[in-house]
Amino acid sequence: MKTKSLMNHKLQVAIGSAVLALVVVGAVSYRSLVESNESDLWVRHTDQVLEKLQDLLAAMQTVESNARGYLLTGDESFLEVYRAGIAKTEKDQIILCNLTADNAGQQRRLDALATLAAQKFQVEGEVLGLRRTNGLQAATDAIQKGSGKQIMDDLQGLVAQMQDEELRLLALREADAKRSLTQAKTVLALGTILGLLITTVAGLSVQRDNSEGKDSGAKYRGLLEAAPDAMVVVDQGGKIILLNVRTEKQFGYSRDELVGRKVKNIIPEGFAERLIADGTRSAAEALAQQIGTGIELVARRKDGSEFPIEIMLSPLESAEGTLVTAAIRDISVRKEAEKHLARMEGRYRGLLEAAPDAMVVVNPGGEIVLLNVQAEKQFGYRRDELVGQKVKNIIPEGFAERLIADALRTTADALAQQIGTGIELTGRRKNGSDFPIEIMLSPLESADGILVTAAIRDISIRKEAEKHLARMEGRYRGLLEAAPDAMVVVNSDGEIVLLNVQAEKQFGYSRDELVGQKVKNIIPEGFAERLVADALRSAEDALAQQIGTGIELTARRKNGTDFPIELMLSPLESPDGILVTAAIRDITTRKKAEANLLDKVEELNRSNEELGQFAYIASHDLQEPLRMVASYTQLLSRRYKGRLDADADEFIAFAVDGANRMQRLIQDLLTYSRVGTKGQDLLAASSEGSLRQALINLRGAIEASGALVTHDSLPAVMADEMQLVQLFQNLVGNAIKYQSAGIPKVHISAARDSAKKWMFSVKDNGLGIDPQYFEKIFGMFQRLHKREEFAGTGIGLAICKKIVERHGGSILVESQPGHGSTFRFALAESEKK
Amino acid sequence: MPIEVLLVEDSPGDVRLTQEAFRDANQSIHLHVASDGVEAMAFLRREGIHVRAPRPDLILLDLNLPKMDGRAVLVHIKENADLKTIPTVILTTSEAEADIVKSYQLQANCYLTKPVQLDAFESLVKSINDFWLTKVKLPQQRQNA
Repeated sequence: MKTKSLMNHKLQVAIGSAVLALVVVGAVSYRSLVESNESDLWVRHTDQVLEKLQDLLAAMQTVESNARGYLLTGDESFLEVYRAGIAKTEKDQIILCNLTADNAGQQRRLDALATLAAQKFQVEGEVLGLRRTNGLQAATDAIQKGSGKQIMDDLQGLVAQMQDEELRLLALREADAKRSLTQAKTVLALGTILGLLITTVAGLSVQRDNSEGKDSGAKYRGLLEAAPDAMVVVDQGGKIILLNVRTEKQFGYSRDELVGRKVKNIIPEGFAERLIADGTRSAAEALAQQIGTGIELVARRKDGSEFPIEIMLSPLESAEGTLVTAAIRDISVRKEAEKHLARMEGRYRGLLEAAPDAMVVVNPGGEIVLLNVQAEKQFGYRRDELVGQKVKNIIPEGFAERLIADALRTTADALAQQIGTGIELTGRRKNGSDFPIEIMLSPLESADGILVTAAIRDISIRKEAEKHLARMEGRYRGLLEAAPDAMVVVNSDGEIVLLNVQAEKQFGYSRDELVGQKVKNIIPEGFAERLVADALRSAEDALAQQIGTGIELTARRKNGTDFPIELMLSPLESPDGILVTAAIRDITTRKKAEANLLDKVEELNRSNEELGQFAYIASHDLQEPLRMVASYTQLLSRRYKGRLDADADEFIAFAVDGANRMQRLIQDLLTYSRVGTKGQDLLAASSEGSLRQALINLRGAIEASGALVTHDSLPAVMADEMQLVQLFQNLVGNAIKYQSAGIPKVHISAARDSAKKWMFSVKDNGLGIDPQYFEKIFGMFQRLHKREEFAGTGIGLAICKKIVERHGGSILVESQPGHGSTFRFALAESEKK
Repeated sequence: MPIEVLLVEDSPGDVRLTQEAFRDANQSIHLHVASDGVEAMAFLRREGIHVRAPRPDLILLDLNLPKMDGRAVLVHIKENADLKTIPTVILTTSEAEADIVKSYQLQANCYLTKPVQLDAFESLVKSINDFWLTKVKLPQQRQNA
């Protein structure tokens, strides 16, 4: 469609050209007219000149004739006419001079003429004078002699020249006039034709435009209707001229409800104002400022609801003037998206700042667009020092390259290959130091294209740990191989990951036969279950419960035979999760020994129990009848002593004695057996305290004998306190008892034997013991003296020996007959200090 | 007023010894004897031939008795609202810790081990007399039929 302005322009051009042509024609015609006028003037001029020349000639002739007349007649009246005639000639010359002022040639001739005339008049004058004076003859002679005729001839010649000249000029001018007239005619004709042509063309063009305009009008309407956006055509006054069906839909109006109405009804603010010409600018300018830009405004539907729109304006030339076509797009969704984006952006920024890792956002050009505070810290830069800088500055290699689009792939592809995987690179701080990093990339759509968000993690520690781990792993493998026990490393799925040569030997497999296999194959039960994570606890917990304790299980060799093993588990951190190292010890022999031991122990227990029972029987059941015997014989003795004969007394005495002894023996036996059966656990006991108790128990004997019992400070030991008391009691009791005469002196001391043992010494100044009896005295019921000499059953030292042995030591005696004895025994130091 | 003492003891020898010992200690003690647990309970409940049995001021109870043993007798005594007020002294040869603990758990008033030696035994009986029958305040007897 031709816009109005174009049409106008065309018209302008056409009209202008027509006008120009007319003007030209006019000018030319004018010129021709002028020229023809001029020609006329010139013709007249020439006529005038010719006429004047004739007059001049006539005047001259008059002069001549009058001169002659005079000459002939001598009539003075001729002279008057003669002089008038000269005056006339002079006048005529002047007039001619004026007339031919522009013609130099004519002027020269005139001058010449004037000169000649002057000459002639002079001559004539002379002649006339002569006539006057001298009469006719003289004058006639003078004339005949004179140049008068010549001059007249010259004069006539000049005049003829002048006439010719004038005629020539006239001819020229006439030709000119003719020419210019022809020119004028031509120009006029041409001009008219041209003018007509232009006008026709312009007219036709305008017509065509108009009709084309009419066509475009129709096309225009079609486009309008079909447009995806709402289209509204508004005039300068803000009235809606045209709209399309989408407009109807969008605004909820029908077409007629809107056509002719103010556009303010549907776009309350921002549209009409922009169009209306105001004092500062014209509508066209106002419009021109809006063309092309999308303007965001608010529109109102028929039901009153408002929605955000974007309008794009374009001018439309029309017969009614400049109209404005507005394409109206409902941007509610876009606005929503923008709000959402702004929110997301806000959130994103928040996330970025709060992220524990350093985050850097980079554009396809490799420049840093955004970063967070962690990034500032990690790299030692301030934010402004990094934004806009190439990311190469902080990650010299490996990052930018990965992003840059090259001939093979676009940035998006380049990025897609990197997304998700952690890439290990080296980062460079502001101070120039490098450190290992891991970056995780993810794309970020933005208005400016695809950006890359990189989460940068400082992995120096991890790298160190990895190196360390690798070193440890190497060492570990070495240890594993060198271990004396079979070592098997199992993963959380129960598969064997590693094993050593001992394991191969023990199970009868080769390494490859076991690696990757389930550990159940070699340890059918008890191992895998302990490791497997179940709903109740994770593998780690399962493992933690097992760590450290030796677990007894059954293992199976390649040949199918089972053998008992002891497992010691320990966890092993690895990149693949927690593995379990199992030290597997073949405990067949141990088990046998244990079984043996158990048997033995059982036997022992049994025999102990039998012994205990025996002891009990001895104590209880034997005691009973023995008590009867002893008691009644004593009663007999008491009641019937002196009432029967002396033999009876003696017999009763022996019986009583026997019974008593038997009782004592049994008591002692019981005591002896109780050392083992009724022994308490060895606990921290004060040996000094036990000694004191023993001395309290021996109070009677000590007082009776006046014994002097001394002791050093005695240590704390691990002992059964009661038995320790018994021990001291027996030894000190013996020391006091086995004396010859004098004050018994007993000294108890203790000295450190080794790191954890104390050697006790009970030294007395008693009878001493013959070395040959050193062993015997510790035997049961072994005595070195007669009953009459010293009381006692001979069980005392046996009990001591048993007690000491029960405490893990041994007892011995150093003695010399007549030089006292020293009994030594060792006890373990108390663990409590 | 005679002091009634019930001795529950199966060994006749021990019975005689105890009798002799009590005679020496205190003339006014009537020592009644039951040789097993059943007889002891019959006596205490005044059943059968013991219808006219007196209520004892003190019971000396051996643990190892035929038929019903001393522990069961003790239980019966201490369950009986009437009988449980009678001080029951365990007098046995057993020194077993288990027996001692059990007896006290069953609320025996005290536990005595019969000494092996005669004089020690006599001394013990004297102590029983001195303590339980002389110093100790016993509850007043209810009038019996």
